[in-house]
Amino acid sequence: MKKIYILIAFCVLALIQIFIPAQMVLSQETVLEKGKPYKFITRPIDPNDPFRGKYITLRYEISSFKTLDTTWQRGDDVYVYIKDSLGFAKLDTISKQKIVRDTDYVIGKAKWLNRKNNWNKNPTRLNFNLPFNRFYMNENKAKPAEDAVRFRRNDSTIKSVYGLVHIKDGTSVLKDVIINSISIKDYVEQNKP
Amino acid sequence: MTSKFQKEIQLLLDNEVINQDTVKRIETFYASKNEEKPNRLFTIFGVIGAALVGLGIILILAHNWDDFSRLMKTILAFAPLLIGQFFVGYSLFKVKGKSWVEASGTFLFFAVGSSIGLVSQIYNIPGDLSSYLLTWTLLCIPLVYILKSNTLVFLCLVFATYYGCNYGYGYFSSSHTPWWYLLMVIALIPQYFKLIKSKKDFNFASICNWLFPLSLVTVLGAFTETHSGFGFLMYVLLFGVFYNIGKLKLFYNQKLRRNGYLIIGSLGTVITLLITSFKWIWNDIFRSEFVFSPQEAAIAVLLFVSAGLLVYRTTQKEKNNDFSLFQIVFFVFVLLFSVAQTDEVIPLVLINVLLLVLGVNAIKIGADRFHFGVLNYGLLIITSLIVCRFFDTDMSFVLRGLLFVGVGGGFFATNYIMLQKQKKTTKSISK
Repeated sequence: MKKIYILIAFCVLALIQIFIPAQMVLSQETVLEKGKPYKFITRPIDPNDPFRGKYITLRYEISSFKTLDTTWQRGDDVYVYIKDSLGFAKLDTISKQKIVRDTDYVIGKAKWLNRKNNWNKNPTRLNFNLPFNRFYMNENKAKPAEDAVRFRRNDSTIKSVYGLVHIKDGTSVLKDVIINSISIKDYVEQNKP
Repeated sequence: MTSKFQKEIQLLLDNEVINQDTVKRIETFYASKNEEKPNRLFTIFGVIGAALVGLGIILILAHNWDDFSRLMKTILAFAPLLIGQFFVGYSLFKVKGKSWVEASGTFLFFAVGSSIGLVSQIYNIPGDLSSYLLTWTLLCIPLVYILKSNTLVFLCLVFATYYGCNYGYGYFSSSHTPWWYLLMVIALIPQYFKLIKSKKDFNFASICNWLFPLSLVTVLGAFTETHSGFGFLMYVLLFGVFYNIGKLKLFYNQKLRRNGYLIIGSLGTVITLLITSFKWIWNDIFRSEFVFSPQEAAIAVLLFVSAGLLVYRTTQKEKNNDFSLFQIVFFVFVLLFSVAQTDEVIPLVLINVLLLVLGVNAIKIGADRFHFGVLNYGLLIITSLIVCRFFDTDMSFVLRGLLFVGVGGGFFATNYIMLQKQKKTTKSISK
């Protein structure tokens, strides 16, 4: 291959390598700027990613839906439609594909189907994960953040824990996790043991 | 040249086995051979250094500096990427040596990973580890060809394997098949092929001769869809393909330790056969839960055809006279597998016989070639077979004991006979 072709190929690849993360930044910034903010009530737990650092996994109150459809498979895409209730997110409905509705939606992943049977008298429910269940934190604060909520779960000092999520056209950005009206990072700082 | 070798040459010269002229020629030959050695060493250290710095940057950024603003963190995310691209561009433009190209390529590889990782971190972008690894590796595979870099073949293969395992064996992936892994491996093959064609004596080529088959063995399980015994068949076929690749002239004429295909193919075949020599495997998995999956069948057919073509190539085209029974074990296993659908006793007995024959075959190969390693490998196959039967047959203790004593004696006897034979041959040559 001639040197000039190699150089052109490298320049194209370099641009693609910059374009991919830049495009990620741009789409997330658009959602933060123009998307509608919702508060999702949640509880954090603390795992680890080998390359991207510590994060807390968020377990949302919105995590299952009563359904008659028994064909759901683990790993299926779940279109979760959200409505606004005084700023807090409320589950409207779920669907296997995009449907016409004037509420916002996000795409989650099906976990398991809790079927109604001889032993389980409750109606069949689909359990799912919301797509914004990771909140990356400073490695020194992720574990204290989890502990802060776990140990004080029954404590009246913790009134509400929610994820602040911006949603636009099915894309969501988790902006922050809030405990008692302040960011979880500041909450951990203030409540150091 | 090592000092030991220099001493030997001096000894040969003193005893007038070689003359001064020959000594000079030997010295010139080794001097020219060693000319590129310091450069190679520099490349290795350069690559290790670049990899460590790259990984270090990933770890530093993974700390998550929450005191910085979003803009600052975004700038930091792109900085290593731009620096890496600058160095790669510089080594290409200024036509720097191989060391520069390999080291800067390695740094850029990790810079791409750190950049995507940090952006995901800043915006809490959903997405599991496998999608992150896939984007990362895909963005770096073209670099392999732009830089003609062997280190990047290694890195891309390792990360593709990591992706294949994470995607194919994960909690949410019972129905996921890592097809992208296969595509990435195929994309790396031309550069790997070029390496083993032009520089087959390089240590790096032999590392790749081990790494490619190991990677495929690790990820093949993710291509199975059912929990039926079909996976065993797929693995035996894959090992058949590997063994026959190892028999190709390109690999077979090299030292055995450089031929990862042959060793992995042979060991894999024996281990899978040993597992399937147990009665409960055939009773539990093969008969009661057999579910047909078109995907598994398609892969099995592809592997079967490849192995068949390779047998044809080694025996007919390349006229490799060292035909070994290991080359066609996959074919025998396919026949036994089809019989197992109706009757499990015949395949069970035949697999035990097959293992015994393979053991004897390996002993014969070892004896013919005076190779103690292969000879003892054959004995080890037979011993393993007996140990396995120790657990699931109602043989009397006396008979079992006698079998063990017999095989133990066999170890001594065959090794002793071969040693004697070797001594005799050495004597006759020296005469």
